[in-house]
Amino acid sequence: MNSCSVEGVFQVENLNLFYGEHQALIQVNLPIEKNKVTALIGPSGCGKSTFLRTLNRMNDLIPNCKVEGTICYRGENIYDKTTDVIDLRRKVGMVFQKPNPFPMSIFDNVAYGPRCQGVKEKNTLNQIVKQALIDAALYEEVKDRLKENALSLSGGQQQRLCIARAIAMSPEVILMDEPTSALDPIATSKIEDLIIELKKQYSIVIVTHNMQQALRISDKTAFFLLGELVEFGDTETLFTHPKHPKTEAYITGRFG
Amino acid sequence: MLNNRRITKIKDFFLQTITYLSSFVSLGALLIIVGFLFSKGIHLLNINLITENYLSTGFVADVFPDTPLCNCEPTIELGENVYYSPKWGIALVDSKDLLGKNVVEIEYVHANSPLRQVNDKGIGIEPIRLRTDYDMIRIAFDAYPTALSRFGAQNMIQALEANNTIREMEFQTTGGGIRGSIITTLYLIFFTLLFALPIGIGAAIYLNEFAKPSRWTRLLRTAIETLTGVPSIIYGLMGLAIFVPLTVSLTDATGGNILSGAMTLAVILLPIIIRTTEESLKVVPDDFRQASLALGANATQTTFKVVLPSAFPGILSATLLAIGRIVGESAALVFAIGTSIKDHITVTGKSTSLAVHIWAMMTDEPANIELSATIALIIVFITVILNLVIKILSTRYLKRKLGGAHE
Amino acid sequence: MPNTNVLIHKQNTARKRRVDQIMKAIFTFTALLSASFIIIIVGIIFVQGFRPFITDNHGLGPVNLWRFVTGDVWLIGNTFASNLYSVGYAIVSTLFIAFLSLLLAFPIGVLTALFIAKIAPKPLSKVLRTVIETLASIPSIVYGLFGSGVILQIVYDLSATFGYQSKGGNSILAVVLVLSLMSIPTITSISEVAIRSVDKAIIHGSLALGASQTQTHFKVVLASAKSGIFTAAILGIGRALGEATAVSLVAGGRRSGVSFHLLDSTSTLTSLMLEGIKETTGLDYDIRFSVGLVLMVVIFLTNLTLNAIKRRIGTVHVK
Repeated sequence: MNSCSVEGVFQVENLNLFYGEHQALIQVNLPIEKNKVTALIGPSGCGKSTFLRTLNRMNDLIPNCKVEGTICYRGENIYDKTTDVIDLRRKVGMVFQKPNPFPMSIFDNVAYGPRCQGVKEKNTLNQIVKQALIDAALYEEVKDRLKENALSLSGGQQQRLCIARAIAMSPEVILMDEPTSALDPIATSKIEDLIIELKKQYSIVIVTHNMQQALRISDKTAFFLLGELVEFGDTETLFTHPKHPKTEAYITGRFG
Repeated sequence: MLNNRRITKIKDFFLQTITYLSSFVSLGALLIIVGFLFSKGIHLLNINLITENYLSTGFVADVFPDTPLCNCEPTIELGENVYYSPKWGIALVDSKDLLGKNVVEIEYVHANSPLRQVNDKGIGIEPIRLRTDYDMIRIAFDAYPTALSRFGAQNMIQALEANNTIREMEFQTTGGGIRGSIITTLYLIFFTLLFALPIGIGAAIYLNEFAKPSRWTRLLRTAIETLTGVPSIIYGLMGLAIFVPLTVSLTDATGGNILSGAMTLAVILLPIIIRTTEESLKVVPDDFRQASLALGANATQTTFKVVLPSAFPGILSATLLAIGRIVGESAALVFAIGTSIKDHITVTGKSTSLAVHIWAMMTDEPANIELSATIALIIVFITVILNLVIKILSTRYLKRKLGGAHE
Repeated sequence: MPNTNVLIHKQNTARKRRVDQIMKAIFTFTALLSASFIIIIVGIIFVQGFRPFITDNHGLGPVNLWRFVTGDVWLIGNTFASNLYSVGYAIVSTLFIAFLSLLLAFPIGVLTALFIAKIAPKPLSKVLRTVIETLASIPSIVYGLFGSGVILQIVYDLSATFGYQSKGGNSILAVVLVLSLMSIPTITSISEVAIRSVDKAIIHGSLALGASQTQTHFKVVLASAKSGIFTAAILGIGRALGEATAVSLVAGGRRSGVSFHLLDSTSTLTSLMLEGIKETTGLDYDIRFSVGLVLMVVIFLTNLTLNAIKRRIGTVHVK
């Protein structure tokens, strides 16, 4: 029986991850709550991106990657042998650090996910694409050129397109891996506003190396250091009254 | 949703199946082609094939004087209907030729047989080796009835046993040897490289070492690259229109010849040689050139003493690629060298290469598939070996280049 | 003492510079020579190819250019005694055959490339890549021999089961099979490079959306590589159009009439050029240059069209 109990959206228990001999995640225990933005912060190489990728099993694509422990999602351990990974990824979407739109039209990019699921009817697709672009705050800018190649958009627009693409799948969770680190400040702030809107509908987990960003947009924050979860709690509390000395050291800029 | 997953899975399975099937088409094709060549051609493959003439020749010969009789036993197992003469050390067998006529074939000649080398009565001094599969037509004796092939092998052997001297004998070589075409192919390789390498390497040196990148050099490169898109038969026409008349007027050639063929092939190979040489010239670090110039050498010395030696493996690869192409080229040579299969090869006379030899035989009536397959086996073998050597060369060259970068 | 050294040094430098000038001239010459060959080839084919149309051909009269290009029969009348040549039907056959060969070789080649680049485990990839390289290096005459020895037999048996009398297996189908076989290695190796160069981020993006591996391959990878794959197709069809000796052994030397029936014998422009080359002279000999000229025009126009389509493909959106 593959069942486990979960209060929020994800319940991560005793997660250990190995790249060959090297252990990248050590005994991580963490809940992800519904309709909240959870930020993962920490210095480079601390494992936050690796942890993010365990939530939709994108680590499977890396050779020699071994995972121990359980991640409970919707009452089932997603690392069980019977898990349908494709189904998981449809419910847990991902936006990458560098925007990666497909070399197709804007419309085809957003419609890609639904089409893979078997949606063929033109009107349905039109509806889905329009709504996703609206929710991603991109529709007004591209509504007249949906058939144009997605690569003709600016960096910020491309990233919002990738968000629209993920939203079109009606996921439950959206994972974001440093979504604004490749963008200029104006585009960044647009996306930050978008995230605050999106959390009404979705649960968001965001990796960021920008502490101000975490402060601005997240409800919960997890601080990672060398593969370990050092501290987890409400964002405001963690930043103003950190419990762990290492957390305080990182926040005050003594390293990282 | 679940239904969709199943439909997707079925679609995926279908696509995967045709992908797997497609991939194994090439594997299957290669196996079938090689299998076909082997099954048709392997039994003709022996040393005689490479040294024999193509045309079957008849000889009248006699035994060299003072050659002792053999009086020996055969050193190999002879078959059922093979007749052996211990006195002369020769075995004959009844057989049929390609037209179905009865002939007497030589099955075996002992090492000490006086008939191993006989004296060609026609020319006089050149000894001829009597080989297996030659047809024995008649043996004439002094004061004894001539043994004719019409009466069979046994009769001939009996006649031999009954005599200690032979007046003369008439026999026919088997023919079907490809010595002529092999020599032509070797000549072609030599002359083509002679024409193509200097011009090609020179052009590469100009483009890479002497000329500054500009619209002009790009134009030159485009002109050279366009050559690769021209079908080889068109090159043949060019060779026919230019190089054949050129060689005919300059030498004693009367039509397509090795020189005209080599010139045509040289043009075909120019783009490959130039491109490969340019690539290997590019890889030579500029530091080498700077160092040489700083020591007071001029550009020419730098090129010949520093750059070219470093680029040597690349140029070698280009040469091997060229050889492979020369051995395999057919359409262009049909026009540029002709299709006459000859045994006596001269640079300005008519002859043909191995690949065209196949085409010439296959367009004859009847087509000789067996010999064609044998030649094809030889050609494919050469090509595979060449490609292997090129691969080994380039991996070793790559290792050296990468290893050097770590210094 | 220093004066002598300086003098020697000056002489050496001057000599070195002269050597450089001479060598540069030689190298420039070789480069110019190499670049001029394309012009020479095009020029000579034009000149020799046009001759039968404008000269008297030893009393036979000039060949009519319009009829030559549109006519249905290779030669009306007796060889060496007539000037009524035409290759119109061969132009159609050549294009038809090249198109069919591409139709067959393209999917097989691209899927094989996908398999080698993305699906097969490393050792199998290596083996298949070597197989493809070996097939690519086999000379065309050997493919012709294989066609003559094996494919003709298969086609002949095939047509017998359909109750169709084929000319010993010589047919459009035989030519298409041989040409496809020759094109597959080219298409595969070029497509493989294009497929391998697809950005990993795009593949991850597709998988993260819940697409299967196969869906990712067919909807995203192939779509991203479509420019390189199209180039592979262009090169493949180029080889099919220009192949001569292999085709001549399996085509059947059809003398007239266009046929689209797979089991009918046929002629291509290249096979016509080789037909009867061993004993021919006069106009029958010269006319082959004209056929070569037509071939070059056909290839040129095909390349132009395909390259134009390729530029359009870059902008049209693909599902």
